[in-house]
Amino acid sequence: MTRIVVPIGPQHPALKEPVNFRVVTDGERIVDLELNLSYSHRGIEKAAEQRDFIRVLPLIERVCGICSHSHATVFSKGIEEIMGVEIPPRAQYIRTIIAELERMHSHMLWLGVAAHEVGFNTLFMWTWRDREAVLDTLEELSGNRVHYNMNEIGGVRLDLSPSQVEAALARMPVLEERIRAYVGMVEDEETMLTRFRGVGSLSREEALSFGAVGPTARASGVDYDVRKDDPYLVYDEIPWNVVTDTNGDVYGRTKVRIGEIAESLGIVRHCLENLPGGPIRAEAPKAAPPGEILSRYEAPRGEVAHFIRTNGTARVERVDIRTPTLANWTSVAHCLIGRPLADVPVIVAAIDPCLSCTSRITLVKSGGDLGKDAPPPNGPRGWSR
Amino acid sequence: MSVLSEMLRNLFSKPVTTRYPAERVPIPDGFRGRVGCADDRCIGCSKCSLVCPASAITMVDSPRMVEFKGRTLERKKRPSIALYQCIRCGLCERHCPADAIHLRNGQSINGSTLDEVVTCTL
Repeated sequence: MTRIVVPIGPQHPALKEPVNFRVVTDGERIVDLELNLSYSHRGIEKAAEQRDFIRVLPLIERVCGICSHSHATVFSKGIEEIMGVEIPPRAQYIRTIIAELERMHSHMLWLGVAAHEVGFNTLFMWTWRDREAVLDTLEELSGNRVHYNMNEIGGVRLDLSPSQVEAALARMPVLEERIRAYVGMVEDEETMLTRFRGVGSLSREEALSFGAVGPTARASGVDYDVRKDDPYLVYDEIPWNVVTDTNGDVYGRTKVRIGEIAESLGIVRHCLENLPGGPIRAEAPKAAPPGEILSRYEAPRGEVAHFIRTNGTARVERVDIRTPTLANWTSVAHCLIGRPLADVPVIVAAIDPCLSCTSRITLVKSGGDLGKDAPPPNGPRGWSR
Repeated sequence: MSVLSEMLRNLFSKPVTTRYPAERVPIPDGFRGRVGCADDRCIGCSKCSLVCPASAITMVDSPRMVEFKGRTLERKKRPSIALYQCIRCGLCERHCPADAIHLRNGQSINGSTLDEVVTCTL
């Protein structure tokens, strides 16, 4: 049996961010896969230790360019819990609105990318056009399209005016109609069915054993969503449902994401219509008492966790970020085995990978000899981080 | 048949894209654009420089009398903002006690040269 190693990346037309796959193939079929994720390591965790709680939030937000609000919220939530600060209801609603708009724009972006990967560029253009409505809303509410910077320790930075709420609500009917069109398209469109159905299958047991999170796990029937299982903000007060599917393949993940766009729209509408009055921030102390916390949050791609340790100063002693993409990579490697090489872009895109967020893992080689005869550790700069 | 009707519709319908530069996307109020500081309001407290996450703001000597909350006081410094370093987070605006520093929505681009700075020009 002749095995061929096909290197994909770190620079490759199918990839949006640098990652290196060493795909071992036997003819057309993939038999093994090696990943190197470490090309975008930026040292954000270390940099976060140098800044006080006011200056650290814009940095934490820049962990990810899509789920920026997720990282800022999970960090603020953790610090507020250590401080014992309860944020006002209006701030919680505003955080939820931005979080769900972010989920909508992230899933629409993903749908476009997935369609583009299978050559269905019409859908790519449509979803990205409709995503503009969500981005425009975010821009109006926060002042920026991507880095909203709405959070601060103890609440939110900006209040929503009645005219902003009205303008946001006015965009909802168009989006609802478009989402209905996507639901129909996923069921009927031959291009998508051929390339998505049965591709990248992951059973419920496999999803659980690989620790998959977010839409990847929910598409395999794992009913796990941090918003339901460990509620934060106002998710336990408002009506919404966890979207799951039993297909377990890329088709299932697409259905889950589209279902979640619809759910998010419902949440945004509910929050905008029932926005409580009152202050938007509570007085928070400058320094946090010594403590440790694992703060969890359901980002668009899945569960994001920040481990935070404080030491009584206005800075964190340690922040450790676990992004959803990291949790999903092992399932991708599993899904690819036995598939044709042409399925690599679709299966990889199906977890909605975000490489810059993920480049913070420490690789521990079990039983490895790190002496002078040992092979150099993987990584662009010869260090395994 | 549906392909034909769609073709005809597309042939005569307007493109969905904005016809730049004849038509421009409106920039909403509150958009965090280029930063500027009102010289007559700045009291030189250095708060903007302290909260700036990108360390884009340095305080430079600029003695001047300014009005602040009904009193006249002597200011010693004013901010000098390196536009290229500014990440437009809006923290300076949020923490300014004198309402002097603002991110305006008119111009969305930031500095284009490494050493371009903006002092009190609002």
